[in-house]
Amino acid sequence: MKTQKTLSIILIAIAIFFTNSFTPKTNKELVDFKLKNVDGNLVSLSNFPNAKGFIIIFTCNHCPFAKLYPERLNNLNLKYKELGVPLIAISSTDTIMYEEDTYPNMVIKAKDEHFNFPYLFDEMQTVAKNFKAQKTPHAFVIWKENEKWIVKYNGAIDDNGMEPEKVTESYVANAVDALLKGKNILVKETKSIGCQIAFRK
Amino acid sequence: MKKIVCITLVVLCFSNNTKAQNIQIVKFNDLKQLVYNQSDTTYIVNFFASWCKPCIQEIPVFLSFAKGTKKNKVKLVFVSLDLKTNQEKLLQIVEKYNLQNVYLLNETNANNWINKIGKHWSGAIPATLIIKKGKHKKFIANAISSETLFKLTK
Repeated sequence: MKTQKTLSIILIAIAIFFTNSFTPKTNKELVDFKLKNVDGNLVSLSNFPNAKGFIIIFTCNHCPFAKLYPERLNNLNLKYKELGVPLIAISSTDTIMYEEDTYPNMVIKAKDEHFNFPYLFDEMQTVAKNFKAQKTPHAFVIWKENEKWIVKYNGAIDDNGMEPEKVTESYVANAVDALLKGKNILVKETKSIGCQIAFRK
Repeated sequence: MKKIVCITLVVLCFSNNTKAQNIQIVKFNDLKQLVYNQSDTTYIVNFFASWCKPCIQEIPVFLSFAKGTKKNKVKLVFVSLDLKTNQEKLLQIVEKYNLQNVYLLNETNANNWINKIGKHWSGAIPATLIIKKGKHKKFIANAISSETLFKLTK
């Protein structure tokens, strides 16, 4: 009985720790990464010397919420890459749990959906941990400030996953537009339902 | 032959109806009214979806926990975040585990309600909220163990 009680206290402590430690923060500084793209090449932020910022989307193949967005991601990259803010998609899902998210399946997905942006495989889940990405899809807008990459927005891509035609707030696009104009971002953080990125122990 | 087809159709319709009755499509405010009250019942509100593997894995934990508690003391409420256009898999799961109190949340922008459940919740599922006497007792943004459930519902 006593051990059970101790165990529950430990479990609760772990739960609280996870809840707090995985809360993403804006204005967090990020370290660059090097991940394998679906074309076989390694991609880092430093590969884009002219980028003012990036739209980073943690996504994956299997998640129904992520599946609602490929076309919108292509459109975002089409619009903002030219303005110096390319989009990079990263899959950090545990592939042991979801076979659909393995690298070969990512290659197929990128081809089928005509991804016009890099789709990177975060096999060790280190990049997701660095960003404190929690689910798919989970969007971040990062901006270069004094040669550092700073998180400026994190959360949902927009306010209506199911019905793209009924979107009233394009959170990511609004954040990038504000940054490009040197203005303050009105909505810096939003919430949305997504598939949890289960971090391997 | 015609008769058999007719009977089959009637049976099919009937079975579909009973299944559908197990899932109620609600808005967030409807859900609030259901679980925030002053009764002695502790509500365990689990946010899940049929496609979420860790969510499905923890269903038996909730069910066996509920079995071991006194009637009316603890009430399990399952809030499905499945897309309303695709309920087939959800129906299968509801049937398989004979889930009661299943509500499909019909909201387009989760940003409007997630913070009301948990300030630190990003919206990743599974997640579970425990409510006692209309107040949040605990929110767990992860899968839950039966030990934790016992501790938290005491």
